Amino acid sequence: MKIITFLSFIILINTSLLAQDFPFGSISKNDLVMKNYSLDTSAHAVVLQEFGKSRITIGNDDRIKLFFDYHVKVKIFDDKGFDNGTVKVHLYNNSDNDSYEEISGIQGITVFNDENGIQQEVELEKKKIYPEKINKHWAVYTFALPGLKKGCVIEYKYSIESPYFLENLHNWEFQSDVPKIYSEYEVHIPAFFTYKASIRGVLKLSKNSATIESKCFESHGASCDCSLLIYGMDNIPAFIEEDYMTSSKNFMSAINFELEEWINPYNGVKTKATKEWKDIDYQLKTEQAIGGQIKRKGLFKDKLNGILAGKVSEIDKAKSIYEFIQKNIKWNKFWGIYSSDGIGKALDSKSGSVADINFALVAALNAAGLNGSAVFLSTRDNGSINTLYPGTGDFNYVVARVDIGDQFYLLDATDPLLPFGILPLKCLNDKGRVFSLDKPSYWMDLNLPQKEVTSRVMEFTLQENGKIKGTILNYYKGYEGYQQRVKIKKFNSTEEYVEDLSTKWSKVKIIKSEIINLDSLNLPLGESYEVEINLFDKNNSDKLSFNPFFMHRIETNPFKLADRSYPVDWGMASDDRYILTMHLPSNYIIEKQPSPIGFSLPNSGGKFLSAFDGTENTFTFSNIIQFTKSIYSAEEYPYLKELYNKIIQTEKAEIVFKKK
Amino acid sequence: MRTFLIILITSVFANVLKGQQYNTNLISKDLLAHSSAVIRNEEKEVTVEDLDNTLVRFKTAITVLNKNGDQYAVIQLPHDKNNLIKYVKGYIYNDIGIQIGKFSESNFDDGNAWDGFSLFIDTKVKHYAPSVPTYPYTVYYEYIIKLKQTLALPSWEPILDFGISVEKSSYLISCKPNFNIKYQETKVPNQVIIGKDKNENITYFWSAENLKALKREQYSPYFKSVAVGVNIVPEKYSFYGIEGNIVNWEQFGKWMYEKLVSDRQSLSEETIEKIKDLTKDITDPKLKAKRIYEYVQSKTHYVSVQVGIGGWQPFLASDVDKQNYGDCKALVNYTQALLKAVDINSYYCVVKSGRDYKINMPDKLPGLFGDHIILCLPFKNDTTWADCTSQTIPFGYLGDFTDDRTVLACTPEGGKILHTPKYKTEDNTEFRKAIFEISNNGLLSGTMITNFKGTDYEDREYLFNEPQTEQYKMVQKTYPINNMEIEKLDLKQDKNFNPTTTETIKLHAADYASFADGKLYFMLNPANRFKHLPKNEVNRINDVYINRGYTEKDEVVFILPPNYHSEKQPLEVILEKPFGKFSASMELKGNQLIYKRKLQIFDGTYSKDNYSDLVDFFQTVIDSDDYTVSLIKN
Repeated sequence: MKIITFLSFIILINTSLLAQDFPFGSISKNDLVMKNYSLDTSAHAVVLQEFGKSRITIGNDDRIKLFFDYHVKVKIFDDKGFDNGTVKVHLYNNSDNDSYEEISGIQGITVFNDENGIQQEVELEKKKIYPEKINKHWAVYTFALPGLKKGCVIEYKYSIESPYFLENLHNWEFQSDVPKIYSEYEVHIPAFFTYKASIRGVLKLSKNSATIESKCFESHGASCDCSLLIYGMDNIPAFIEEDYMTSSKNFMSAINFELEEWINPYNGVKTKATKEWKDIDYQLKTEQAIGGQIKRKGLFKDKLNGILAGKVSEIDKAKSIYEFIQKNIKWNKFWGIYSSDGIGKALDSKSGSVADINFALVAALNAAGLNGSAVFLSTRDNGSINTLYPGTGDFNYVVARVDIGDQFYLLDATDPLLPFGILPLKCLNDKGRVFSLDKPSYWMDLNLPQKEVTSRVMEFTLQENGKIKGTILNYYKGYEGYQQRVKIKKFNSTEEYVEDLSTKWSKVKIIKSEIINLDSLNLPLGESYEVEINLFDKNNSDKLSFNPFFMHRIETNPFKLADRSYPVDWGMASDDRYILTMHLPSNYIIEKQPSPIGFSLPNSGGKFLSAFDGTENTFTFSNIIQFTKSIYSAEEYPYLKELYNKIIQTEKAEIVFKKK
Repeated sequence: MRTFLIILITSVFANVLKGQQYNTNLISKDLLAHSSAVIRNEEKEVTVEDLDNTLVRFKTAITVLNKNGDQYAVIQLPHDKNNLIKYVKGYIYNDIGIQIGKFSESNFDDGNAWDGFSLFIDTKVKHYAPSVPTYPYTVYYEYIIKLKQTLALPSWEPILDFGISVEKSSYLISCKPNFNIKYQETKVPNQVIIGKDKNENITYFWSAENLKALKREQYSPYFKSVAVGVNIVPEKYSFYGIEGNIVNWEQFGKWMYEKLVSDRQSLSEETIEKIKDLTKDITDPKLKAKRIYEYVQSKTHYVSVQVGIGGWQPFLASDVDKQNYGDCKALVNYTQALLKAVDINSYYCVVKSGRDYKINMPDKLPGLFGDHIILCLPFKNDTTWADCTSQTIPFGYLGDFTDDRTVLACTPEGGKILHTPKYKTEDNTEFRKAIFEISNNGLLSGTMITNFKGTDYEDREYLFNEPQTEQYKMVQKTYPINNMEIEKLDLKQDKNFNPTTTETIKLHAADYASFADGKLYFMLNPANRFKHLPKNEVNRINDVYINRGYTEKDEVVFILPPNYHSEKQPLEVILEKPFGKFSASMELKGNQLIYKRKLQIFDGTYSKDNYSDLVDFFQTVIDSDDYTVSLIKN
């Protein structure tokens, strides 16, 4: 990641000449007659010009506010580009403390050439702008640009006034799924406030200036200069997503801001916002919705005796507490790293956000004398974390960590099916910051030893009548166990799950079944089936060909592209083993057996092995597919693709046995 | 194609029950099978006080057995200025029926309704999700809603969904002596009880006990046709201040036309002139209409905004003319106005849309029904239909969203029940021809041409206007040919009255065939392998319902390396069942192997005894589609 430290190259010039917003309604003839975008002729639309401006200044109510202006002009080539004409602007509303973001100055226009080549305009009507409340935190303003037609240009602008000026300086996304000819972001920051800016993605800025505006901020006798930062980028290609990647945010070009420090203009008190982790630690600790919750050990005083009854070892205690929180607070689907209503209310109402639940878990662990801490992280959808500079802006999720002896376990109590020590896939993203009330925080790697492990063992006997009888024993460990439990719990009972399974296994009749450890989350999940399989046409039983993958066969390669630009990110390693033993009647012999296969990825990244071991009328076929890493670089992609080709080739192979 | 949304506000009423009744041990065993929730006792009481005043009192107790049932305990109450929530409150009980919580209106969130596709809906929804982490639990709640209308009267649908059973449910509607209703019952277990209350109001009462959970089965008939329910329509009503009578469809259609549509169609002189000018060189009215339809397609796009009159009144045509957008009502209304400008008569038609089921307007129960508007052009002996929400489909093409069902045409002369055209088994075709060469290294290469007609015409719609690289990626995912690389892709649409899509792909695929021990193996059916084996339901409950028929024909010629002959029995399958036909064969002629496959499915309802035959039928198709050719060198 490239960091722009803008303070080092500020130049003093008169900046009024640099006002960058383009005039509204200035749509050129060329824009209207443009038939396609020459740099990407398949684009359904292209952003001709985009301008954003953030400034921190004094609002009409005499408070410091953040003003954000957005203005864009988009050329639409065809009806698949019409989506760009529907705009949703989200506003944060904190109804608890009556602080609202407000939108104003919404203006929209559609310009096009009519059949006679005469330029026409349709304006967005005020009454066709629809305000809506989504929930207690969010509202949205929606409008559709009027009069869209192929070849038109739409233009709209709006301004947002926000009381959340300190921590929410708008980031700017240069890249999106629509190409852009030019995009520019202008930021005015009074010297009282210091932000650090970081650029993400591989595209280069075409404009990058920092100047000083003198005396731009005045309030009640306090005044200061502002830095005026301008970032511009031209000819920005559309971002194209690939399969099996993490958040496209990680790769799209953008500029992000994070508050570093600020001086209270009225009393001169300096607050370091993100300067050092020890300051952040202090902030988190004193923040009522974070540290203020974690320390509420007292809430568990009465409960602990019951929870810990009979538990002696630290690990058993930790497991009991984890289970207690899992079973006593239901996740209300709200995210974030701040507790919404406090863990006390969450316990009472049995409902809470991610932060409520996992802070409660940390508090309970500590109340029991265990070493619990919170781990702040960014989920996969939210993008990767900037670990170079201290800051909390990237975090959107929190889990708990407990250290026992020299072992640690990561816990997320929001999902009642997650075993102790396993995190959901969405959390497995790069690094997390471990935070506790009494020790300095530190980074930890979230590419955990967590794995998806499956083993299938089948033991079959071919009967004289051509039917196969035998047993199937599947074990799912680690994350795979969780995933399989989620599948089973979709049914109202295990009987219904097995019933459904038997309707799907067309040639396999389930005679007896057992689901093992379904509710013992910390043990591997097992499925055991006694089956009868009708694989062969009984009229033709002198010579039988048998595909050992008849139940789980991969037929096409998941990787289809010749090349790849971004890493393949599965989130965790996996290990899949399959062993099949077949006993043939004594009058049969094996005629054709598959040849052994071994294929490894470079740098011990994984392997595919297949082996056959047969005596006269018994054979064992075994197969291993192993991926040891969670992320494979674009350079490793061809090997992954080839590994899958080998798997598909192998899974075609048939074993032939015939009557002597 | 998309519909518009109608939120009918329904609600219920009951006696206050003591918690112990909700002990989950009291639920009978057979109500637990396949259930995630059990309605313990639901009472809905509808009182029509006046034409513009209906009170709905609702009380229910629902036991949630496991996580899957949580969704049924969520309370959502739509409301707007014509539908007012008078009050709502409730209690939560644990597994043995002890109260563990309560809630009232202040615990509810309030936000705009959201259907996933509308830009804006002016109906709001009060929402409360009880949070109980341990199962089972029971939620009891009651509310009263006042509806300022009598056209959309609450229906009785005791079984909300698959996987819910009912201990007890009842519905009472009480009407002033001069307020008459009609009703239509589906599978009601007890006869309606009609009586009078002390104020001489006429009451109708339905009830049901011990309804077992319905199991979701594939190829099942429409849920509402197998679940208990009663729909009610009034004879005289007021709807958002507009009064009317329903005697029959004719009269209701007339009301719809006059009150909701007729005054929405005026256009500026300028627009009228423009349309006249646009069509002045065309004499055939059908071609004129086609020209106008295509004009609307190129001019407008679909945006759904649901405001006013319960979502049933279209935007003004002049508004669409200016904004270039609208929902189905607005776009049909606009097209109709344009057609009128050149003296072409057309009908504004209400339909119940849906790809999975073809649902007719209820014959005997004229009233507010349906969720989509389409256009009918009654040309002499050539009635033509159009859906105005798509920018791409050909004129006269309805596709699988609204075909083969009755609709209500709202006309100045009155409502007419019309039937939309049917796309039959022989109309919905996917015909494929390919010539592939298999080289000595296993490479498959050649050209494959596929024609799509009928409802299959739209099968490749998603590829049009996409960049070539994206098209290639999507086509690679469509076909099961491993390692498929596309050299050239050509897509054509013939948008005439019997539209056709043609896809031509030049491709190659490495390692398609494998060589081992002097043998050559490859999959006989490269492109069209049937994938969706129906589940093998043993105790089938529902009849077998096939919504749509189709015909697939594949003909593939493989040119093989020289000197191979067949090792195993060549494929030869012929199947014939009431619901379908299938044949597949291969023939080796010199170094050419010719594969032919034909699959036909016939729509209809078949008795449930046919289900296992259907599973076997598709199993045979799948086995045949998975056939691996095994050839041996001479």
